[in-house]
Amino acid sequence: MAEPPDAIDLGRDRDLRGRRKDVWVRRSLLALVALVPVLALFNLFGQRPTTSNASVPAATLSVYAPTTLRGGLLWEGRIHITAHREIKNAILVLSTGWAEGMSINTIEPSPTGEASDNGRLEFTLGHIPQNKSFILYMQFQVNPTNVGHRSRSTTLYDGKTELAAVHQKVTIFP
Amino acid sequence: MDLAIRAIVLYAFVFFLTRVVGRRELSSLQPFDLILLIVLGDSIQQGLTQDDYSVTGALIVVGMIAALQVGTSYLSFRVPRLRPVLDGLPIVVIEDGKPIQKNLHRERISVEELTEEMRQQQIASLDEVQWAVLETSGAISFIKKSDS
Repeated sequence: MAEPPDAIDLGRDRDLRGRRKDVWVRRSLLALVALVPVLALFNLFGQRPTTSNASVPAATLSVYAPTTLRGGLLWEGRIHITAHREIKNAILVLSTGWAEGMSINTIEPSPTGEASDNGRLEFTLGHIPQNKSFILYMQFQVNPTNVGHRSRSTTLYDGKTELAAVHQKVTIFP
Repeated sequence: MDLAIRAIVLYAFVFFLTRVVGRRELSSLQPFDLILLIVLGDSIQQGLTQDDYSVTGALIVVGMIAALQVGTSYLSFRVPRLRPVLDGLPIVVIEDGKPIQKNLHRERISVEELTEEMRQQQIASLDEVQWAVLETSGAISFIKKSDS
């Protein structure tokens, strides 16, 4: 038999002695890599929006926004208020989780007033007649350094009276 | 700081990917592979620097990747036990003109692919080959029989 090339160990490199399990380790790791996009198909890494509702006799408050995001993503939050009775002075209060580490591109229609309610964003929307809806569209972009979990709550007031609140937890992947 | 962390994470991921995907896939540069490589580079770049267009950002990323590359290579050089993990090991795929099917199967290489590689190295027949070794780079080295 001809001599093998230098540094080639026939036991190890031809008969694969001690290397039998390597291929299964490699295949398992490859399966692990393939698992990431499969999980992504199930919205594990965002950004499919979900709807969270809070319904009270006075109004229904719906928040349609993704709860899982990634750095740099452009996304929309849609807040839908359906008045079951007249709301004289609708005020939306958004917790800091809405704005922290986000670029707020636009809010439409523009609230008639903006203020801070103990650090939270307070948007005055004004009058909503009975059985009418008000939809607030907000466009954001996630700042790349904004990573982790945040709580995001949306509270609807009529003047100083709290009507409904929606609480969500947002996860932001790097 | 996050740029440096992103560079480390993505370097580790690409390194890991190149080790698990298989060496042949990475060494054969067919037109489709070339396109995939460009798409891969573009996808990584976006995750790496995102909206940072600064020279400082580029210096951080390039410097970190260079340091990681040198570090990996140094580790492989200094710690021989890590070489199989970091670089892999060669595999004999032809001995005395006969393809070793189990080794070819393991690396997903067909005999047709093997003979194509031989032709590119001006070898017409398997009978001329004493040894063929799939190297850690993914290239196949052919050693001819002494009488051919």
